[in-house]
Amino acid sequence: MTCLQGLPTLQEIVNLVLRIITSRTFLEVVFFPGFLNVMLSAAFLTWLERKVIARVQLRIGPLYAGISGILQPIADGVKLMFKETIFPELADTKLLMLCALGLMLLAFAPAVAIPFGEGFVIANMDVGLVYVFAVLSLFPSVILLIGWASNSKYPFLGGLRSLFQQVAYEIPMWLSVLGIVMLTGTLNLTKIVEAQQRLWFVVPQVLGFAVFFTAALAELERTPFDLPEAETELVMGWMTELSGVPFMIGFLAMYTKLYVMSALITTLFLGGWSGPGFVPQPVWVLLKTFLVASVIVVIRGSFPRVRVDILLKTGWTRLLLLALVNILVTVALISFGLDWVWRI
Amino acid sequence: MGLDTWSLVTVYEIVVFLVTVPLLIFGWLMGAKGKNPIRDAPFESGQTHLGEARQRYMMQYYPYLIMFIVFDVVAMFLFTWGLAFSGVPLTQDYLFLVFIAVLVAPLGYALYLSGRREFW
Repeated sequence: MTCLQGLPTLQEIVNLVLRIITSRTFLEVVFFPGFLNVMLSAAFLTWLERKVIARVQLRIGPLYAGISGILQPIADGVKLMFKETIFPELADTKLLMLCALGLMLLAFAPAVAIPFGEGFVIANMDVGLVYVFAVLSLFPSVILLIGWASNSKYPFLGGLRSLFQQVAYEIPMWLSVLGIVMLTGTLNLTKIVEAQQRLWFVVPQVLGFAVFFTAALAELERTPFDLPEAETELVMGWMTELSGVPFMIGFLAMYTKLYVMSALITTLFLGGWSGPGFVPQPVWVLLKTFLVASVIVVIRGSFPRVRVDILLKTGWTRLLLLALVNILVTVALISFGLDWVWRI
Repeated sequence: MGLDTWSLVTVYEIVVFLVTVPLLIFGWLMGAKGKNPIRDAPFESGQTHLGEARQRYMMQYYPYLIMFIVFDVVAMFLFTWGLAFSGVPLTQDYLFLVFIAVLVAPLGYALYLSGRREFW
């Protein structure tokens, strides 16, 4: 019996589990700024997109599931869970499944760095901005891998286009936020929001905002830059051969990315949680995020798709030049001593 | 629970993992199964598919890829410069603007070359 002396009793284990489950960290990771919030926000965004696009096209959109169809994403998810997972005969099945898993892990990863209030963030990292960009820049590789594993022509072309698109938007996107980094002197997203208490960065960095927004549309692979899944050319692009749960994950990953990108635009340019105090800070973040997301959706309803070469040329000439001009404007701002407004 | 930043990211990713894997297995188990040669063929607009998709494709925009490799590194350098910008005396930093200007000139020439197909 002596060997059992050191082992914890059942009561102790139960207590430990209860303490972990009720701890603030666990609740944050699993519920509010964490997993469930991202999942439900992405589901909400699919509903929002269908509703807004329907209004743009003079339709009504989903109507029957819940109040004005708000439960439609859940119904779709349950439907897709029970669908057969079809793989084309030449496909690398194991790789496709792994890619679906990797896509899910990648899609949820950047959301940890988004601050939802003063000190209300899962991971308050000093390199938050670089972390988000690093994770987002891995997406095209996974999409190309899905195209490769599907071994079908449309998904593969979609994956290649995704890679070329990254070449077009990534550098203008990085350089457009450089002005903010120069004004605040930090990469920590919480500190960037704190620096905007007096004036949001959309005012001094309006050029950077324009470049970042355009690059974000390309990053999200949304109209007018939805080349990797151009429905009229590539059927469904890289998602053509996905079905059942992998398709659901691909779809969810796209909307998670939309949520993360809108939240990032909110954090960087629209003051994050700052706003009149009668509404709690996390609600401000969510409100601004969904507002930015609905603007992106309206853009989808209004613009035609651009060609690949036009996207590349625009990215490397106009966007890059505007981002550099934005850096010069920021240098001028700091030189004239106007940066005290955003000092913490 | 005093976990540091990156442990929290790991815990969060583990939560995502623990939800996704059962979901994939569930979908695999609950979905119908069956073999059908026509349904299992890769989709090629209703035509009979023409073999593997892993062929050679034309890389039409290759010059952009080369420029990307160069400017990727430059963008990272600019980030470190931008981080230090507000902290140090300004006069030293104007030199960096010359550096940017020197970089933009060859970029313009590279873009000009990439527009002229006869050069590559």
